[in-house]
Formats: sequence, structure tokens, C-alpha cells
Amino acid sequence: MMDGTQGFGSKTTWRVGVDSGGTFTDVCMFDEASGEIAVWKVSSTPDDPSRGIAQGVEEGMKERAGGSESDPAAAIAYLGHGTTVATNALITHRGAKVGLLTTDGFRDLLEIGRQKRPDLYDLFAEKPKTLVPRELRFELPERMLRTGEVSVPLDEEAVRKAARAMKAAGVEAVAICFLYAFVNPAHEKIAKAIVEDEMPGVFLCASHEIAPEFREFERLSTATVNAYLGPIMHRYISRLTPRLEELGLPIAPHLTQSNGGVVRFEVAAETPVRAVLSGPSTGVVAAQAIGTRGGFDDIITFDMGGTSSDVALMAGGETTQTNESIVHGYPIKAPMLDIHTVGAGGGSIATIDSGGLLKVGPESAGADPGPVCYGRGATEPTVTDANIVLQVLNPVEILDGRMKVHRDLALEAIGKMAEKLGMETMDVAQGIISVVTANMAKAIRVISVQRGHDPRNYALMAFGGAGPLHAVRLAQELGMTTVVIPRNPGILCAMGLLLTDLRADFSTTKLVALDAGNLDVIAEAMSKVEDEAAGWFASEAIPADKQMTTRRVDMRYDGQNYELSIPLPDGPVTAETLVALEKGFTEAHERMYGFAVPEERILCVTFRAEAMGLVKKAELPERPLGDADASGAVIGSREVWYPETGAFTETTLYARDRLAPGNVFQGPAIVEQMDTTTLIPPGVTARVDTIDNLILELSA
Amino acid sequence: MTGQTTTHALDPITVEVIGAALSSIVEETGEALVRASYSTNIKERRDCSTALFDRHGQTLCQAEHIPIHLGSFLDFIPMLLKDHNPEDMRPGDVFVGNDAYRGGGTHLPDIVLAEPIFVEGELVAWTVNLAHHSDFVDRAHAHIYQEGLRIPPIRLYKAGELQKDVQELILLNCQVPRERLSDLRAQMAANRVGVMRFQELCARHGVDTVLASGEALLDYAERKMRAGIAALPDGSWRFEDVFDNLDFDEPIPFAVTVTVAGDEMTLDFEAPEQIRAPINMTRTALLATTYYIVKSVIDPTVLPNAGLARPLNVKAPEGSILNCKHPAAVNGRVQTCQRVADLILGALAQAVPERVSACTNSACSVAVFSGTRQSGPDAGTYWVYLETIGGGGGARPTADGLDGIHVHATNTSNLPVEALEGEYPLILERYELVDGSAGVGKHRGGMGLRRVYRATEDCMVHVDVSRNKSRSWGLQGGGEGGHGSYVTSPDCAPFERGYGTLRAGEWLEVITPGGGGYGTPEECSQAPLAAE
Repeated sequence: MMDGTQGFGSKTTWRVGVDSGGTFTDVCMFDEASGEIAVWKVSSTPDDPSRGIAQGVEEGMKERAGGSESDPAAAIAYLGHGTTVATNALITHRGAKVGLLTTDGFRDLLEIGRQKRPDLYDLFAEKPKTLVPRELRFELPERMLRTGEVSVPLDEEAVRKAARAMKAAGVEAVAICFLYAFVNPAHEKIAKAIVEDEMPGVFLCASHEIAPEFREFERLSTATVNAYLGPIMHRYISRLTPRLEELGLPIAPHLTQSNGGVVRFEVAAETPVRAVLSGPSTGVVAAQAIGTRGGFDDIITFDMGGTSSDVALMAGGETTQTNESIVHGYPIKAPMLDIHTVGAGGGSIATIDSGGLLKVGPESAGADPGPVCYGRGATEPTVTDANIVLQVLNPVEILDGRMKVHRDLALEAIGKMAEKLGMETMDVAQGIISVVTANMAKAIRVISVQRGHDPRNYALMAFGGAGPLHAVRLAQELGMTTVVIPRNPGILCAMGLLLTDLRADFSTTKLVALDAGNLDVIAEAMSKVEDEAAGWFASEAIPADKQMTTRRVDMRYDGQNYELSIPLPDGPVTAETLVALEKGFTEAHERMYGFAVPEERILCVTFRAEAMGLVKKAELPERPLGDADASGAVIGSREVWYPETGAFTETTLYARDRLAPGNVFQGPAIVEQMDTTTLIPPGVTARVDTIDNLILELSA
Repeated sequence: MTGQTTTHALDPITVEVIGAALSSIVEETGEALVRASYSTNIKERRDCSTALFDRHGQTLCQAEHIPIHLGSFLDFIPMLLKDHNPEDMRPGDVFVGNDAYRGGGTHLPDIVLAEPIFVEGELVAWTVNLAHHSDFVDRAHAHIYQEGLRIPPIRLYKAGELQKDVQELILLNCQVPRERLSDLRAQMAANRVGVMRFQELCARHGVDTVLASGEALLDYAERKMRAGIAALPDGSWRFEDVFDNLDFDEPIPFAVTVTVAGDEMTLDFEAPEQIRAPINMTRTALLATTYYIVKSVIDPTVLPNAGLARPLNVKAPEGSILNCKHPAAVNGRVQTCQRVADLILGALAQAVPERVSACTNSACSVAVFSGTRQSGPDAGTYWVYLETIGGGGGARPTADGLDGIHVHATNTSNLPVEALEGEYPLILERYELVDGSAGVGKHRGGMGLRRVYRATEDCMVHVDVSRNKSRSWGLQGGGEGGHGSYVTSPDCAPFERGYGTLRAGEWLEVITPGGGGYGTPEECSQAPLAAE
């Protein structure tokens, strides 16, 4: 099903990536047969994002891929999809009403966490909101010991009573987390069955299923977040699936996970906690592919959309991965890319705070009503409105002329604000840009400076609908001198879906000493996760020659609590394998900590299999460098207001799709394309490389 | 080494990048320490800190772990430099020390390892870390000689060579030597990371630029601190409170007078003479506590380096509980530190009530368990488990106090149940917020915690709770927080001043105090949740 022919005898050659953001839904289509890449963009439909997605796929396939009138999606061989549904619900605390079942004596653990205060010095800092109110946290008589032995049997009647109480309270999802469920899940399984019986159809998450690992609070938090997001993701997928079927989609669609890999919808629906970075992760994957192709191994990615910006750092061509992270205040045990998000986007609203200072975001106008200039009734100016007033954005129409804008309305809104501040309107418009730029610079400092990387040694790769518009200002703020704008920045996340492999991570915790006497136990634990990986390969119909599995064992000295992850050599697990593991661990320990202790016992803790289904990826077409003269791409000019000139200044407009490799031109210039606008202020030089990246060079 | 001031021109971006790099180095050394360690107190509870110092012993940067650890850091290098000539130091020398009177320490379990960093043959800085070794338990506390082994700053490694005799002497004096040895190795690992990273930083930016940036960062912290103090009204405010715990019957009075004049602040403490109990604070403990709370109120974003101390003048009578001298016992000083922090809040509340919280639970409740293992592969070996339990935060002018957190001078994590029960013959039966423990008010105080342990083997126990007689005060009409206390199973032999024995099957319940409320309960728009 992955890459053969399918459907009613017609050839399925299109691979499609869809990225559903807070403001726009982007569709990227790649024809495996011709190598052609096409893009499409529609407004998101936040009340039911599946409408926007279906509309985007339908229109995109019809307009750009020759899709038929009745079954426009019939020619699709693969559909990958990234969504911010999960992360938005977590940020805005609009998840499901969750009930929690837990061990007697521990219902407050969710609030207590690790007992540390949220900030060492700030007396006014708050803990993240507790996702389950105290009255919906039920303590059940039951207790396992650390050996997995039952100390107090589960009171099944108490489970039933709790389930009924949750049902009466209108609970939509239930998290179950008992002590030592990662050793013996029996009580969690019984409780789950009883809840299923009492509350048919309710979303259920037991901690041993989602994070079968040691440390009860982090496991509890992961299960709770999963339950909190479960009904949201279910609703989302159950609306989207039939819409795509109606379009004649012949294959099972896939959803991106936080690790940058993709899984089938059914799997994704059960594990929304692994998709909290679904949206931004593919952008990073795409940036990695494009960056390394273009010779930029050290980049900071800057993905600015309508509501937020995501930044990540790639050094030496490698992105940073983690197995546990705190996301929006909540500890989550799941494989993910190291991405930092800030509430600053084109739709971020500008306000004057009680102290009389100009603030921008994190509130966003979203897609509806959108910025003031959309003329849909909004009155508070946004970053986009400022860009319209400055005429950095086309003051008449955007999206290739598909959307009219009202500069007069934006001017009026910012004018009112200027009056209150006692400033000039244009200065306030530029001030909105400066404030949002400072907010984004702070986010980049978190992933660079705060981790000891000097951003000045990195290129800034800007994408997302608003990234190229703000990239140079941001680079100037951080002292960066190179900005890379990929060919299709507005749909890079969607494109990343065509550049990523299928991927799933499997793990099991089994504490066992690394000793030849335990060879059977070790081999069994490893084969357990390999079997799971094999089952996944089968369910994804990945042919044998496209399967790739990386095996690792997390190990530590007996007495330590943190493991080092050691790769396991290929082939059957034998005595030699154990010797190799010991050598790998000792070397890694020596490298990390400067010492190894041969006489200490080494424990294997977690066995991992990272399964990759290698898929055919979109190829980035390369063109030879040509003439420097870019005049063939000039489509006109516009007066744009710059702080450098303090006035409206004649600015040359270029069409992105008329620019050719080798072209060089100077700012002030603006490059327009369907999915974004690139601002090249005075003093900045632009050139086009062989894969159609726009490279902007700033003076240091 | 000439100490001349550099004329190197520094742009603010370079200073910021290097400042952040220093902070990322101390964070990374802290992670190495936690990850390589064996004792639960470090690997899970993170009762440890790391720092970088300039060659004179001024803090360049401290990892934001445990504020009281700054006390040991303040004087360790200066004390060390009194005994050892820098000219004789070599790469790979590592100094160990813990003493309260000869090593800048605040209590003996906090063992410091310091390693000089050399660049191009010159000693340019120090990497230093501190780990609270949970050892030296089941002791008397009339004076420091009863509290554990006193170690002045001496070499544990000489040019990379372990001084085995020194290590043997230390380990012989410890009750859990295997853990001590492993944790010392982890401390070595942390310093190794510190040396490597600092040298890399110097290679990247040049040693002069790094050191000059260090100086600039101290000045920057001082400037921000001065600006913050200058924004307070000038004046003088006095506040009194009492200190109580299980060691004595009569609460002890403390007072502070905080005086703001321009951009400087003087804190003048009143306290009785030092006593034959473990609650005495060394001068460095008092300074660390004062720096922590003043920074919190003035500007939490000031960098945690030595520059922030420059505009502060701290006075306390020498030989008093708050500025003790040899041979006062100091093991339980953290309880006293907590009260001192709240004392300063009480004084500043009169100047800037909108900037402070009501009194926190004002304690660092402690439970220490120890015994000889009776079963398993390690039967016959001695075990020690120390844990500290959070309580309520003080209510804020705009919000309720935080529930069940560590306040002020400490900020250690709890030990996961699934880690605790694997390590020690204990079962944790309950861990929850205490209803009714929070001070009422427009904004209520934070709730205290209850932890119930059942012993599965016989063990010795020491419980240290505070606010057992007094209560944490509210502000602007807010109510007082609940008491700290403990209960044992009815069949258990009575404890004496928190000391006792649990036999297998018996249990102990520790209840920590709640925080004070802010504003009168009548101002509260909803029914007070935590009314007693």
C-alpha cells in the first residue's frame, strides 16, 4: 500500500503533506513520477480544523495536481499530516474534563509534583495549572510493592463507584496511574476494564501503556496529559477521516509525532501526548534536509506562524532529541525534538499595558476574526496590521490576490493607539515590530546562548507564513549575519512531511544486571520490543528492504538513577553482545564523567527499538547558477516605511517564482510569493542558490 | 596573575553570551553530578550545587539549585587560599573540605570539592561543587565536634593523583562509605566537566575576554541590585518573630531592622547567644540567606554572583545564634535560615507590602531514618536516608500561596516513592496536602504536606519540625498557618524531642506547616477553601 498502485486502476503517484496551523492550512504535493512539487494554502477553520484540511487537499489536488472532480484525492499514495491541535489545547488549557484514578494516599501527587517551587527567586511565580481538579481525583484501595507483588488487592467496587461518580460529573477522559504499574500493570488493567464497562466509549489512558517507566510523578503527568488531550485528538481525527475518505483518499493517512516521525491516525489517536510537538517537528525535519543540502550545517530554525513561533537549533547537521521534557509546564515522557515555542506570531495582538508600555502577544487574533485589516470586525491591531500599515505587506491584497485587505482599518486602529501613547502612527507600527522581534529573540537565546551556543555562528533559517517577513529584523537583534529563506517557506512544515521517514519508538523497562547469566532475560526483553517493531512494520506495510531498526539499551551502574543509552550491535543477542554492551557503557561513562569503575555492577534498565520505515522522499530540484541580473523578476515597486530612512521609501518588488539561481540584488526590496513575503531592508544583499534558497547577507 | 584590570573593550552581546555560557557550564556540571551520583539525596533529591569562581574566590556564577549552599561557596576559596599558596597549585589538584570554621561551610554534611582551572599554564578560575552527603547521623549536637568529621580545605588529588590516605581517613569516619566514595567520584566528574567547558570557553573567546566578562557580570549584578534598592522608599523597619523547634521548650526571639538609604541596604539582626543545639548559623549561612531573600524581593532576575552582595551590609552580634563562632553546633541550621528569610520579608512588608508574600511555612521539615539492613544482598550494612519535606508558601498580594513546596534557603526534590522503597526498608503510605493547614485570607496561604512512612525493618528516626508552637504570620489581616508536628503509631515507643525508634510495622506521620494568608477572609470572593 505504501508505494505501489492502488485504487481503481489509476496510478497513485502523489505524496501529500498537510500542515494545519492556527491561522493557515498548508498543503504540499509531490509527484513521484515527475518530481514536481506544488503547494496550496487555505485559511484554517479553528472550530473544526478538518474542514480546512479537507478543503486544502481538495482544492490543492484539483488546482495543482490534476485531481478529478469526484475523487480529487484518488491519486494520493501517501498523506502525512502535522497538527497543533494537541499543543494548542495544552497551552490554552482547553483539554477534556479528566478524572484520575490513583493509589490511596496519593491523589495530591499531581499537584505536589517534585515539591520544588516553580522559580527559585520569584515569590510571585505560579505552578502550571493542575489538569484534574481535586474532586475528580479518586483514591482507590490498592497497592503493589516494588517487586510487583500485591500488598493491597484492588477494591473493584471502589473503582466502579468512582467510575459512576466520574460519569455523573461529566468526565470525558480517565487517567489511571497506580504505583509500580510499570512493574505489574494488573491493577491498572482491571481498573481500566471496569471503567470501560461503566463509561463505554470514554477515553482511557493507563500509565503502564503510555510510559511504562520508573518515577511515579512523571508517569502520572504523562498519562494525565494524554487523557487531557485524548478526546480532543479523537474528535479531530474522527472528523477528518471521513472527510478525506469522501475525497477518495485510497490510503490510511498518517500524523506526525513530536520526534519528527509519522504514525497512522489510529495510533496517533491513542497517544496524543506524543504529538504535542507534531506541528513544529516537521518544519525542523525540513529545515535539516534543506540546510544540509544548501551547505548550512549550523542553523537556528525560526518558524513564525499566525499565533506562535517555534525555534530549534541544529549543530553539525544534527537536531537535538530528548526522551523526557517539560512541555508548557508539564513533564512528558515521550521521544521528541528539542523545540522552543513562544507566543509571538503575525496575529499577536498589540496592547498598551497598565504601566503604559506597548506589549505584543501572547494573545492572538487567530484566523477568525483575524487581524483588523481582514475587515472581519476586529479592532485591536496585530503584527500583521503593523506590516500592512508600513506597507511591508501588500496593502491591497495578500495570498496571491485571493484575499483583499483594508489598510485604512489597520491605520485607524494603530492611529488610535498612537494617540494614546502620544506618538506618531508610523513609529508605533514599527514599535509593534520591534517588540515582537525582542520576544522572538528571547526564545532564540533560550536554545542558543543559554546552552552556550553563540547565535552569531549560526545561519537563521526562516519559514512559516511570517518568518521571512521578520527574519532580517530578528537576525539584526541577535547579531546574526546570514538568513536563509527556503523556496517554499510558508509550507515548510507541510513539505517536511514529504522529507521524513515513518518512525516509531518502542521501549520496555526491565531491571537486569549485565551478566552472562542473564543472557536469556536480556535477549527476551530485546526481542519483546523488536516484536513490537515488527508488528508496526507489518501494520504499516513497510517492505523488508525499507525497514531499519536501531536497538539501544539504557544502562547505569547499580546505585545510580540515570542511564546512558548504549547502541546494541546488530544480530542475535549473544555473550559477545553483552561484552560489546559493557565496553560501550564503560567507554561512554568514561567519556561523560571521566571515570569508570570495573568492579561495580552494571544494570540494564530500558530496552529500546527505534523503527524506521524508509520512504521515498521528495527531491529538491537543483538548478545551475546563472546570471546575477535579477531584473527579470521585478514586478513593480511600492513605498515601504523603514526605520532606517524614517520615511516611505521606494522599494523594488520581486516575484519569487521568477527569481533564478545566481540572481543577486540589494535591499530595499520585497520578494512576494503565494505563501509568504520576504522583507529585505536597506543595506542587505540577497542572492539565490542552486536549490532556490534565498540567502540574505547582513553586514556584521 | 598580576590582577591588573583589563582594558579589553567588551560589547554587551559578548558579555551576555559569556554570562549565559558560564551559567550553562554550571548547569551542566550540576547535571553531571546528579547523573553520576549514587545517594538518593543527590541523584533524585538534587541536594547539591555547582559554581564557578574567579581566581580570587568571587562567585562568577552559581547553578540555581539550593540558595543555602551559596554560604559554603562564599568562603571556601578565600579560606583555602589562606592555607595554600596558588604558586604551588598544579592542574589536577582537587581540594576537599566541609568545616564551618576553617572551610567556609555551613554544616558538616555539605562536602565541597574545588579544582583550579588552568589556561596556558596559569590558574584563571575555579570550578567548585557541593554535595550534601547524608551521613554523620544519629549524633549529639552540643558542639561541632559531635556532628561529624571536620575537614579543612586539603588536597584529595595532587596533580591528578588520588591521595589515598586522605580518602581513607574521610571514608573511615563515614557511616555509609560506599555511597560517600561514589558521590565523591560524581563530584570529581562534575569538576572535570567544569574544567573542560571553561577551557573551551577560553579557547573560543580568549581568556582575557572571558575573565573581563566575568568582572563585567559582577558589576552588572551590582548595578541591577542598586537600582532595585534605590527604587524602595528610604527608611528603617524592624520586625520580630520567634524560633521554635523540638530541641527546646521556650521559643527564641529574633529581630531584624532593615534600613534603606539610597541604593544601599543594611540588615541589622538581634539574636540571643549561640546555644548547645544544632540551630546555630555561621556568618556565611546568614549571608547566603540574606542575599537570597533580598534578591527575591528586589529583583529575582539579578544574576546569582558576588556582585549582588556589594550594596548590602549585614550585621549580627558575633557569637549569637545568627553569627556563631567555634565550637557551636550547626547541623540543623537550615531551620533557622528559613525563619531569618521570613523575618526579612516581615520587615520589608512594612515598606513594600505589594512586593512580598506573607510568612511561608518558615521551615525545612526533616526526617532522617537509619539502621542496619536485616535482609537482602546488603544485609548487615548501615543505611541512612535523609529527606526534607516542603510546606505551604506564603499568600501573595495577588494570589494564594503555593501548596506543598520548598521555600527560601532550600529547594530539594522529593524522592519518588518508586525510588524510596527500592533503596530503604520503608513503605510510603500517604503523601498529600493537609486540609486546614493554610492561613485564611483574601488569598489563602499554601497548604502543608503530610507524609506517612511505615518501617519494614527496625530503624532509628530523627524528625525535625518547626512552627510546632508558633504559627506563620499573615499580612494585611490574613490568618496564620498551621503547625508542624508528627505522630507515631499508637504501639510505638514515645519519641524524645523528635528522636526515637520504629520497629518493623510501625509508622510515622510528619505534618508540615502551612503558610500565612494575605488580606482578610472577608475580602475573599469565594468561600475560603482552607479555613481551619
